Amino acid sequence: MKTLEFPAPPPRAGDEDLRREVRNFLESRLEGRSPLQRAESWNGFDRQFSRELGQRGWLGMTWPRKYGGHERTAFERYVVMEETLAAGAPVAAHWIADRQSGPTILRYGTEAQKEAILPKIAAGECTFCIGMSEPDAGSDLAATRTRAERQADGSWRVNGTKLWTTYAHEAHYMILFCRTSGSPADRHKGTSQMLVDMRATPGVTVNPVLDLMGQHHFNEVHFEDAILPAGSLLGTEGEGWAQVMGELAFERSGPERFLSSIQLLIELIGALQGAGGEGGRNAVGRLFAHLVTLRHMSRGVAALLERGDDASVHAAIVKDLGATFEQELPDIARSLIDEEPDLASTSHFASVLAYTTMAAPAFSLRGGTREILRGIIARQLGVR
Amino acid sequence: MDEISAIVSDTARRLLRGLAEAAGTWEDMPESAWTAGWQAIEDSGLLLALLPDGDGGLGLPLSEGLGLVRIAGSHHGPWPVVDTMLARRFAAENGQDVAAGPAAGGPSEMAPHQRDIAALARACQMAGALEAVLEMTTAYVGERHQFGRPLARFQAIQHSLAVLAGEVAAACAAADFACQRIAAEGHDPILAIGIARARIGEAVSRGTAIAHQLHGAIGYVREHRLHRYTTAMWRWRDEFGTQAWWTRRVGMAVIAEGSDGFWSSTVAA
Repeated sequence: MKTLEFPAPPPRAGDEDLRREVRNFLESRLEGRSPLQRAESWNGFDRQFSRELGQRGWLGMTWPRKYGGHERTAFERYVVMEETLAAGAPVAAHWIADRQSGPTILRYGTEAQKEAILPKIAAGECTFCIGMSEPDAGSDLAATRTRAERQADGSWRVNGTKLWTTYAHEAHYMILFCRTSGSPADRHKGTSQMLVDMRATPGVTVNPVLDLMGQHHFNEVHFEDAILPAGSLLGTEGEGWAQVMGELAFERSGPERFLSSIQLLIELIGALQGAGGEGGRNAVGRLFAHLVTLRHMSRGVAALLERGDDASVHAAIVKDLGATFEQELPDIARSLIDEEPDLASTSHFASVLAYTTMAAPAFSLRGGTREILRGIIARQLGVR
Repeated sequence: MDEISAIVSDTARRLLRGLAEAAGTWEDMPESAWTAGWQAIEDSGLLLALLPDGDGGLGLPLSEGLGLVRIAGSHHGPWPVVDTMLARRFAAENGQDVAAGPAAGGPSEMAPHQRDIAALARACQMAGALEAVLEMTTAYVGERHQFGRPLARFQAIQHSLAVLAGEVAAACAAADFACQRIAAEGHDPILAIGIARARIGEAVSRGTAIAHQLHGAIGYVREHRLHRYTTAMWRWRDEFGTQAWWTRRVGMAVIAEGSDGFWSSTVAA
């Protein structure tokens, strides 16, 4: 057994030019966006903003030009991702599509699917949602029951329910993970992925599921004899499990797994300036050491992806450590600053603290629970 | 790492692993065995690995010399290998004769930049020692049976081990990061060393606690090798500047940049 190494990305001056360009754009584009809005991080939704990123060539960055991409490196893409997250930009209209749906289509899609969809994602015009979890298949994704049956004319009839489907109510498409043969007892055998047009498929109903803050991000998506046209299958019939694991590796690999509560750290440092004392210095030094180390590891994941290596265990480690780091932040901030958390407060610290405290439980649930990630790490160690 | 450095590290790893495994219970080690071990280390040239080029060292860049320090941390024996490497580097830097023999008690009278290098060496030793502790712990939970099955079959054990592996990965990444930063331009090497010491010190606290818990009582006895690593790390994490001192130093630098400068500091670190 060997410790996992996180290779250092090569230093490239061009990336820093790009960083400046992105930063300048964000600074003027996001002027007036409040800290509380910035704290929403990748839950913030703004189609126009996504379009503007697309116009600048900052979406689908690594994809081939013929699909609307820009053939840039994984590190350049990383620069855009981390700068938009650090600035608290509203990225939800494109985030899922750019991060995982597009790459999955690029890898498994037919020529027709790639030509139809990838250019729209790269233009920031196309929102995706993830059709994985179900009421009885959360962490246990292989228990999926939603079923697509091939019809005589080559179309697919879909029945079932997906749950926790973020931004399904805004999405143009879903990548649906479902069963195309056998039963839930067959586990990962007989599963496939389908492309679902969320705007033009009769029999698809989207119902909101409000979160504990009363916000509408989640949905329940019902399929009732919904007919997907022939050509909706994504990739190979029966290979859904391997494909969905690849998609999850994309989902878990990015800097959003430790930067989503960065606004609270920014507000904490502001509150500590000139008043911190030893306790404040110690806490900030520790958090900064965690943050910089996580960033180094996360850039290592990008380096692995750039050279085509499997980074799923590395990504699981970064996500597990990242979620723990982010979830600690509210209590550390509370221990240092005497202010009541209050969403409606005019104090930025108080409103961001209130928001992040309530957002935090989701950090170790979304995109694979802490327990699932630790199982993946344990398997890599050979004890599972 | 080029081919020559790869040969040097493989050789060092083989030598130190063999010596550490043969050392048995250190307190019961015959003096002749200790002396023979030391001589083998001396003969290998390893003790000169941190010497600046041109001072009769191995001609390795500092970052690669520190890679050997990490290996010494992974195969920790009863010889003051790293302290002697440091003492010889500092003697050469100070224009003094490089003394023969072990530098018991570590280097004395260091300039501030030497103290920083010594602190980074401790960080690398700890990263290496944590790797060894992960390996020992993983092996042990696979061998030890209770309730009719190996400990590794219990999910509680698997998850503890996964947390340990995460801490070890972070510690190694933090050590790599600092070693790269002292060689790169445009970054503050002292900040990078502070980051490594803060993060690795925490990995030591969490990691050693898990390793002892998973080893059970057997890991707590003098004959067992686990405590050679854990007790050493509990010293190292506070040497050449305590973990708390390094952590506050990082915090002070970050707070001074304010909220507006925070993200730039993160990227520039």
